[in-house]
Formats: sequence, C-alpha cells, structure tokens
Amino acid sequence: MNIAHFHHLPPRLTLPITLVAAALAASAAPPPASLDRPSAARRDDPMEEMQNDAMDSDAMGSSGMSAGEVRQKDPSELTQAEISFFESKIRPVLSGACFKCHSEGSRVRGGLRVDTPDAMLRGGESGPAIVPGDPDSSILIRALRHSDEDYEMPPSGKLSDAVIADFERWVEMGCPDPRARENFGTTSTTPDAYRASASGIDIEKGKEFWAYQLPTRTEPPAVQHADWPRGDVDAFLLHGMEQHGIAPVKDAEKSTLLRRVSYDLTGLPPSPREVDAFMRDKSKDAYEKLVDRLLASPAFGERWGRHWLDVARYAESSGKETNILYPHAWRYRDWVIDAFNQNTPYDRFIVEQLAGDLLPARDDREFAQLWIATGYLALGTKSHNARGRAQFQADLVDEQIDAISQGLLATTVACARCHDHKFDPIPQKDYYALAGIFASTETRYGTVAQQQNNHPAQLIRLPEGVGLPLGPTQPESVQRLLAAAYDRIAATVENAPTAAELREARLAESRGEKPKIDLQAAQRARNAQGQLEVYNHLATRFDTDGKPTSGNLLAMGAAESGRVIAVPLLERGEIDKAGAIVPRGVPQVLCVGATPELSSASSGRLELAQWIASDTHPLTARVWVNRVWLHLFGKGLVRTPDNFGSSGQAPTHPELLDALAVDFMEDGWNTKALIKKLMLSRAYQLDSTPDANQAKVDPDADWYGHMLHRRLEAEAIRDSMLAAAGTLDLERPVGSMVNMVEGSARLDQFMQLLIPDSRTRSLYLPVVRDAVPQSLQVFDFAESSFVTGDRDETTVPTQALYLLNDENVLRIADAFAKRLQRDEGTTDERVQRGFVLALGRKPTGAEASASRAFIKHFEQVATRSSAAQPQETPAQARGNRRANQPFGQRIRERMGRSDSTIPNDPELIALSAFCQSLFATAEFRTLD
Amino acid sequence: MHFDCCSNSETIVSRREMLTRVGCGFGAMAFAAMLAQNSMASAILGPDGRPALVAGGKSAKAKRVIFLYMAGGPSHLDTFDYKPELERADGKNLSVGRGNGQLLASPWKFQQGGKSGLWISDLFPNVRNCADDICLLRGMKTAVPAHAQASVMMHTGSFQFVRPSFGSWVLYGLGSGNENLPGFITINPGAGNGGAQNYGASFLPASVQGTRVDVGRNGNRGGGGGRGQATPDEPIEDLRNDRYTRSAQREQIDFVQALNKERQRREKDNAIEGLIESYELAFRMQAEVPELIDLTNEKQSTLEMYGIGTAATDGFGRQCLLARRFAEEGVRFIEVSQGGWDTHRNLRTDMERQCGAVDRPIAALLTDLKQRGMLDDTLVIWGGEFGRTPYAQNGDGRDHNAKGFTIWMAGGGVKGGLSYGSTDPTGGEAIDGVMDIHAWHATALHLMGLDHSTLTFNHAGRDFRLTDVKGRVVPEIVA
Repeated sequence: MNIAHFHHLPPRLTLPITLVAAALAASAAPPPASLDRPSAARRDDPMEEMQNDAMDSDAMGSSGMSAGEVRQKDPSELTQAEISFFESKIRPVLSGACFKCHSEGSRVRGGLRVDTPDAMLRGGESGPAIVPGDPDSSILIRALRHSDEDYEMPPSGKLSDAVIADFERWVEMGCPDPRARENFGTTSTTPDAYRASASGIDIEKGKEFWAYQLPTRTEPPAVQHADWPRGDVDAFLLHGMEQHGIAPVKDAEKSTLLRRVSYDLTGLPPSPREVDAFMRDKSKDAYEKLVDRLLASPAFGERWGRHWLDVARYAESSGKETNILYPHAWRYRDWVIDAFNQNTPYDRFIVEQLAGDLLPARDDREFAQLWIATGYLALGTKSHNARGRAQFQADLVDEQIDAISQGLLATTVACARCHDHKFDPIPQKDYYALAGIFASTETRYGTVAQQQNNHPAQLIRLPEGVGLPLGPTQPESVQRLLAAAYDRIAATVENAPTAAELREARLAESRGEKPKIDLQAAQRARNAQGQLEVYNHLATRFDTDGKPTSGNLLAMGAAESGRVIAVPLLERGEIDKAGAIVPRGVPQVLCVGATPELSSASSGRLELAQWIASDTHPLTARVWVNRVWLHLFGKGLVRTPDNFGSSGQAPTHPELLDALAVDFMEDGWNTKALIKKLMLSRAYQLDSTPDANQAKVDPDADWYGHMLHRRLEAEAIRDSMLAAAGTLDLERPVGSMVNMVEGSARLDQFMQLLIPDSRTRSLYLPVVRDAVPQSLQVFDFAESSFVTGDRDETTVPTQALYLLNDENVLRIADAFAKRLQRDEGTTDERVQRGFVLALGRKPTGAEASASRAFIKHFEQVATRSSAAQPQETPAQARGNRRANQPFGQRIRERMGRSDSTIPNDPELIALSAFCQSLFATAEFRTLD
Repeated sequence: MHFDCCSNSETIVSRREMLTRVGCGFGAMAFAAMLAQNSMASAILGPDGRPALVAGGKSAKAKRVIFLYMAGGPSHLDTFDYKPELERADGKNLSVGRGNGQLLASPWKFQQGGKSGLWISDLFPNVRNCADDICLLRGMKTAVPAHAQASVMMHTGSFQFVRPSFGSWVLYGLGSGNENLPGFITINPGAGNGGAQNYGASFLPASVQGTRVDVGRNGNRGGGGGRGQATPDEPIEDLRNDRYTRSAQREQIDFVQALNKERQRREKDNAIEGLIESYELAFRMQAEVPELIDLTNEKQSTLEMYGIGTAATDGFGRQCLLARRFAEEGVRFIEVSQGGWDTHRNLRTDMERQCGAVDRPIAALLTDLKQRGMLDDTLVIWGGEFGRTPYAQNGDGRDHNAKGFTIWMAGGGVKGGLSYGSTDPTGGEAIDGVMDIHAWHATALHLMGLDHSTLTFNHAGRDFRLTDVKGRVVPEIVA
C-alpha cells in the first residue's frame, strides 16, 4: 500500500510564496460582506428600529490582526491578577452599563455585543470594539471617552474617569477576559478538564460491536458448485445462496449487460454504435474491455462524482428558512468529478476534503485545488437569519459533525449533541471533543449581508493565472434581468431619507404626529441598501458584458481559525447551559486501531482526517466499499449505508464486506479497481428475473441470486431522453447557473430563463435546496439537506404528469422525432430506430406493430381539427378549446422561444407522441 | 429527566421496504383500518412494527385537518385575546427591551359571542357568531419571534433542523382518503419563510409531501424555482397538457400501458404494476382536479356566503371553499394561507383589511362544514406563527411576540365554546394553560387518533417524531 506519501509529513508546510501572499490578502481583506458598506445612516442612528423581517444584528468581522495589536490570551493562560482585574473592574461595568443593548437577547444595537470576548473582538457594524493592546484604536474606548461624536456610550451619560481609565488599562493589558469563548455557550468560567460523566457507557465493551472491530480477511468458504464462482466475491455470495437453498439464475443477455454497465459506470445509455460494436465483439475479454473503456471515460467521474455529492449533501444554497445562494459551490462539484476521473485514492480523497488547506502542494494550482476540496465542510444547510452568533456557530459545527460522521463513518455522532448516544457507545463528551476541532476551524461559505442574512462569512480567494476557470458567462437575458433589478433597487435606495430625516420622522410618529416622510417607503429603501450590496458584490465578479472576472475566482471551504479552542459540553445541547470544557478529540469507541494526537498549534482537522483515512480505522473502508456495492447491486451489504451503528442493520455478508474492505486498503484505496472487481463478478452479471424458487423465498434478492430491477436516477432519466434525441451536450459547462447571481432574490426567474434550454448533463443543473428542477425533483433526487447514501425509489403520479405534460419533455420528444424524421425511411424503420435509441434494443413484433398502429392513428388525430371528447365538463371544455386549436399552431406557440419552428406536420406530431411514449415506459426508467 | 426520543425499535424496516409499503398504501392501510375499527385503539402498525394509532375511543374524532395559516403573526390582542387591563393601561410606559414601550389598547371593541360568551373583537363579527364551535388557545407561545423560524417551527416542530411537516406526518400516519387526489394539499403557500419546507416531507417518503395548488393568482412558484410556471389554469405542476386532447392523450397512455404490459409479461418486474397505476391516477387527476377547483357549479348562495364575488373576500373565500371541496373528497390535510399580518405600523387600517378579507370566509367554512355534518370530523385550525406585543411600535403598530399569542381550533373533537389558557393582564406573555408548539401538535395529532409519541420514522439512526422529545396532549380541550 502506498498511502504514506502524505501521512508522515509535518502538518506545517511551506507554501508557495505567491500563495501565502494571496492567502494573507484574502484573510486580511474585509469579507465581501463589509465591502463598501453604506452604513453611515445605519450605524449612528439611535432610533434605528430593529427591523423585524431582517434580524440585522451583524456580521462578522475579519480575523486579521493589525499593527500594535497583541493577541488576546485564552482563558487558560490568564494569571489570577488578570482574572481578578476583569472580574472587579470590567465585568460589572459591562453588565451594568452595556448589556441592556449589547448582549445576546437584547436589541444588539449596531450589531455589537459585549457579552463574550469573541463578540467584542468581532465588534459590530463599525468594526471590532476592542483592539487588544491598543486603546486608541478601540472603538469601545473611544465611545467611553466621548471623543467621537458618533459613539458616545453609554447614552445615559459618560462614565467616571476612573472607570474609563480601568478600561484603557484593560485594553493595554491585552483585554484579558476569562469568560468562555462564545462558540459554545457563554456561562462557563474557568476551563476544567472534563471529568468522566456518569454516563454508564462502557467504551471497552462497546468496542466489541462488529463495526468497531478492525476488518479482517477470511478465506472464501467452500461451495458446492465450485465451477460457478469467478472469484472470491462470487464464492462468498454463492455460499450464502447455498445455505438458503437458492441457486443463481442464468447470466444476463449481452445486450442487457451492456446497458447495465453503461448506466452504472457513466449514467448514460450505450449509443447504437456502441451496441453494435459490443454485440459484434466475440472476444473472450469483450466485457472486461468494455468495463475498462467506460471506467476511463470522463462520464465516469460525472456518474460517480454525483454519488459522492449525495453523500456530501452538495447544494448551491443554504436551504432552511431563507435559502441564500452559494454561488461558488460548483468548484467543489467539479473537484469531486475530477477526483473520480483521476481515481484519487479514497483515503487521499477524504483527507483533501477535510484538510486540503493543510496539505503540501507542488504549485499554486494544486494548492488551489486542495483548498477547493474543503468546500465539503462549508456546503451544509445554515440558518442565515438566525439571531445569535453562538447558536449559529453551534449549529454549523453540528451540521459538519453530522455530515462527516454519517458520510464517512456511517456513525450518527450528532445524536450525542444533547445526551449520550442512546444506542451506540458515544458519550456526549465525545461529541464536544469532536466539536472542538471544528470550533477551531473557520468555515468560509461566503454570502453577502442583507435582509435575512446576518451571518455572512469570507470566501477563499483563488490564485489567478493557474488555469482555473473564471466561471460562466451571463447570457444576455440574465444581464437584462439583473440590470432591471439593479435599477429598481438603486432608485429605491436613492429615495432613502437621511438618518436625521428618519430619526425625526420616527420621533414624530411616536408622538402621534404625522411623519414628514413615508416610513414604509423608508423601510423599503433601507432593505434595498442590503440588496444593493448584493448587486455591488456581483459587479465585482462579472464585467459589464456579463463575462466573469478574476473577482469570481472564489471558493467555499475551510481554514484554520487561528485560535485553537476546546469547547464546553452543553447540557441538553443548549447554548446557555455550558458545562466543563472537553479537550478536543475523536469518539473513543472508534479508536481501536489508533488514537490521533492532536497538535495544540492547529485545529486538529488534519489529524482527524488522517485518522479517518487510515487503514487502522474500523469503519472508513467498510463504509465506502458498502456504498460502492450499493450503487452496483441496488442495495448495500449493510442495508443502512449511513448508519453502521446498532440501530442500523448488520451486514448480510460480514466476511465479504471485510474481505472487500481489506483488499481495498491493500490496493491503495483504489476505487476504480474495486468497481471493476465487482463488475467482473458473476453475481453482477446475472439476469434480473428470479426463478420460481427465488420468486418465492427471496424475491428481493437478499442473497443476490438474481440481479435487481433498479429504477434509474433522476439524472439518468433526463440525460437518456436528451441522448435519445441526440441533443445531449456532453461537455462540462463552465461553472453553474447559480454562479451568475447572488443573494436569494429572483431565483425563480433566472431558473425559468435558463433551465429549459439547458442540454447539459443533469448533474450540472442548479441544485438549490428546496428548489431543485422539476426533472430531478420528481424522480427522488437526493434530499440535499442530509447525507443521502441511498435515494428513494418512489412511483407516484407526479412522475406520470411530468412525463406526459411537461413542456421540456415535449420539447425533447420533438427533437427526438425530428431525429427520426431526418433518417429517410418507412414508419417501421423509424420505429425500429426509436426503440434502439431509447431502449437500446429492437422492438418485438408485437411492439413494432402496436407502435406503427399508434403512429398511424395519431397522425389522423393530429390531422383532424378537433379531437375533443363528446361529453366534457366545463373545465375540460376550457382545456379542450385550447387543445382544439390546430396542433401545429399550438406547438409553434409553445416552441416560440426555442430556435426551431415546427411545421404543422401531422407526421412529426405523431412521431413526437411516439417518442414521448417511449420515455414514459417502465422499461425506459428501469435497469434490468 | 429521561427522554424517549431515541427509543430503539425492535424491528428496523429499511427505507426501501418502507417505501414499498407506502407505495401499496401504508397510509391507505391505516385509513382503512381506522374506518374498519371505528377508531378503536392500536389498529395500525407504525413503520417500526409498533402501533402508531394508539389513542383510544372517542379522542379520534378528526379525520382531516383544514389549517388556516395566517402568515406574519396576527395580533391576538386585537382579535381573540380580550384584555380589559390593556384598555385601562393604554399609553402607559412599559419597561421592555424593544420599541418605545407604550402600551397600546386595542382600537377595536370586544363582545361576547354565542351561548358560551367567548370574547371576540369587532374585527371578527362573523367568526364570533361561531363562538360555540371554537376553542381559543390563549396561552400559546413559540420559540423565536422571527418569521422564518417561527413559521418553520409551527409547520415542522423544529426551526433548527430540516424536519417533515405537520401535514406530512398526518398523511404518513393516516394515509389518503381519495386515490384520485394527493393526500396533503397546500393552497397558495407563501414562498418565503421556509417556503417548501413548510409542506415538505423531509426524510419521510416523498409521497407524503404536500402538493402545492395555486389558484386565483398569477402564480410565481416561489419555492419551486426552475419548475414550470403555475397559472390559474394549471393549479398543479404539469397537470395540463397543452398539446393533446384528452382523448388523444388517452390513446397515448393506452399505448404506453400496452408496452408496459408487454414488458411485465417478459420481465416479471413487480414495480410495473405500481407504474401502470400511477399513469391511471395521473390521468384521473387531470380530470378531477380542474373539476374540483372549478367553482361554477356551486350555488350562488354558497358563493355569497363565502364572500366570493366581493372584492375584499373573494380571494380567501375561494380558498376556503376549495378547502371544503378537497375535504369532502377525502384529502387528509389541507392548508390555506393568508399573508399580510405583519402589522408593525398602520395597525388600524391593516387589521381592518386583513380581518375583512378572512372573517366572512372563515365563518362560512365553519357553517358550511357544520351544515354538511363534516365539522365533527374536520379539525379546523386558525393561527399564525406568533402574536404581537401589547406595546406600540411606530405609534400605530405592534411588534412580534413569541411569548404569548392565540390560535384557535374548531370541530374535530375539540371542545367548542372554550377559552383555554391565558396571557398576563396586558397580554404580553402566556402565563396559564401555556401551550408550546409541541403541545399543540401533540394535541392535534391526538384528535386525529394519532399518538405523537409513537408516530415515528426511523432516520439517521433513530426514531423521529413531529414533537421530537417534547409534546404533551392537553386533555382539557378534548371534547
């Protein structure tokens, strides 16, 4: 095995100089959120009303340090004198004079809170409240001194000179502050090593559970029909069948196999030429050559990358209440696809996603790619309109823990947020140990502060000139929409009253007088300022021709926060019930092979990643092998792919799972090799129709005596329709439609504008949470708010409505029909070709004659001017009036905005209905 | 305290098996059993093999829910929570963290309605006439005074996580009552504040998610970006085919089904049966839904009762009448939405407009259901995500208030003519008979014959419930 190439390198590395500069610039620059903040009218307005629709407590600042600044000590480093100075001189004043307006639960005026050290450092709309070591630069001190007209605090009157002097001294001392860091809870005072709780969880006993023991290789068992197996996989499976009195069914037909392999490896149907070539190839290794060829095709990465994106809960927006867009998520998507195509070893694949920013890089380009990989940590759902920073941060970390523990380890660690895990030996303490690692990490997910977004963050600025794509070009239609929206917003902002006018008007209103200005309009103007920010930011990414600029070289991801902290255990998971501090670490029960040593100088992400991706971890390889198995056999050896705990299911073939996991690690975590091994098994190549015995005793193929019928995924269904029509664009588009916009507004219009004309593979369609395109949503697309190891396979009438009526489906059917029509020939020849293009086979005699009859009859129907039903209700009549217009006319209307004009051609209409019918069949969506 | 959120189930059924069961009608099974058993206890096995329907005998009166969701947080102090003390203290300063703290008496008079004498303001004169059917819950509180969180909280029981909606849980528990219609319909839902999450299935089977029906507005499918544009003619996504007549499409479906049957003969694929049926259902829905939303065959007197044809009440009146029609057809959970209750200012004009739009339609709905003998087994719920402050904001407005507000329920086995719970003398905070969202959910499920503590779904390693680890049934309001 060859995984040592990065395991033993020191975590601190020399980065290329230009990149260090770029990274520093990125982290020292103000986040996009605070660019050009037009906030004079906002921040100094004491009458400013908390705008309820938009919780506008602000906005995080940057973590860069300026000259003269000293580092604020962690609570554990403070001397007794420093603590008592804070407790006697500072804390009473803060709580007495400031908390009323500047603490969690208060109005948080100006976005400033002073109830935690972090909040003070972060500051409010005007920037950090304190600069440790530098009183004159500290806004807090200036406000106390009343030296600045804008900030005279407290508003009730200046404090005594002695108190102000205490604060100046405190800042000079470096702002020693024993209060707990806010990431998790605010009430804990002194850090205290966690003492084992009376949880009653016996970790050592817990390690006896199968999933927590290291996998071991056992020799495949002897079988009665020794001539059947083609390898170890088959031997293990046949053994299981024989024990249950099952004999495997016959091998699948060559054509069935071709279709199966094509979809499983590329998500695409075989082209007619590929069908011909494969059917003609009588060589012994024809099948293996096919597998090799498809494994090497770029479509492989698209297919398997999408499987991973399900696990990575990939999406391009925050979801939840406000659904703010993540315009740069696509870079992670592309990274995943490339990783699968390059066959990045799976262990390396994990480490890059968890800690790519901490790995050595040969050059700027690789460094950029490694950082993009950490987008994995930033993609989760978030409540951007949440009020409290502490709660937001705790939820962010919780989401990361949930995604990682379920996605990589099939362990539900997040269950232990509020109490010890109920079924698995994971004490609550272990959750907070893991949380410390992510609390010490800065998650960079971007977004721009505006109404409904109180928690913007930075992004990663990528280097220029290393061949990274800048992004998509905005089509003219999008530019027009954006320009119109911008003008409207700018006009609204222009009408915004001055702060003085607003103040006066509110005073007047509160006195019961009629204000001079329209307060509602003023409110709208205020909100519009936030929207303007969004557009201003967009203008830094696209030029006036709609072309992406180097300002669009941004990515989501993770970085070291620069402060390593341990977090307190929160009683019942509640943010205000902080208990003892828990040292950073990993779940104890998983430490059967190795326990990571976390550096005190960094978050511990790299050590965590290397521990997860090591061959002494009991779960990682098993979980991945099971996921791969699931995608090829329709269900996992462990049926609950995201939960290997005791509330999940035990493996049906534990020795096989272990053997695969061990071999996989010994092969260097080689995913393509694993897939090939499984595909070359005889079990994978079985027919999908059970024999009478299996139909009775094992219809669901629990023992793999036959292959399952599997429904194609949403992407494969749409891609196959486009492929049949010959209009599928196999090129990867640059970026994503979502990248062209920002914020959350008018998304519907953009998607309406862009999606219908899209011919790209479906995985490139925008994945906005709760607003997934109909073509994907209707066929059980992954719920991108969660780790989805195994998608649903429902059969519901909305799918039928989609295939029968959706305009996009009709348009694709038209294109398919035109393709058939272009080939001169008889109706019968067209039918034959239609079947081959859509279903990969020739029709049976019965199918062919039914098809010919349908086309012929539909031509007549299409020729008649009216085909209304004799007895119709008024509602139907309304529908039919429309329907009774000549077909061609209606089609022309419907197709008006596409490039083609369809003649009033009954033949074409009938062919289109035929093509659409093929899309609608059970066979089209089923893999045998 | 010991939580039972994670009580392990004896038999874990895989998600796929579960879906198969749902496909062939776990819900339908539940419903049939409920009818057959005449709401006797423990008829239904939950997905984990344990009984989901546990509530006994008479509690299981409600067979369906009509939820009148008032988005924005309607003021309880000007509608259903009568506070004489607030009248007396008008203009007094109140020490509060936000706003100017001047108490604001309601500009509207309150009067007693019905034999029960519930106090209801002049903003709801028609609803007041139905007082004896209404159970006011005046001690409501919720988690967060922000629209998005509170809305999602009210609809899913959680604002922190993505969870299945109330309606999805009900449909999951009871199944649909009409095979030609979706079992959970939400009419004109708002796009923001959680959007589709408010009727989403989350980890429950996709078949129980709410189906969005848009009527009477030039729809912009807020939550459904990228999907087809809804129009009044196409209340459900892709419901209409613009190209082929119904008979032509029938021929097309017949052709598809012929190919499907050919395959079924060849492949013995069990899934084909369900697929064939899904086309037939889709075809029937195309006919049935436009029929159902076409109100022209309603009597003129009925239309007038709902205020249809009168500008102020037309929109909401149509939605209420539609809700009744869906209810009649066996739809399990129907949500009707009305926004515009966020009265930070212009309280006087805005509340007149808001209440003017809904008062008559709501009263008509209650009366209509009653006349048809449906009120007894239809649980009607009225409410918004939170209430408003007793103190004024901007002189003539009220701020958000999560600490105390009123919602009400009627029919479906709830005690009519009852006021349960109360806020403090000026109406700021619930102090007595306090119900949080979980308690309300638990009680509503109880009225449907569902035990909130056993209606579970196994996901991500544990059994989830609508009420999470909380919730308690409030027996005082059950008839």
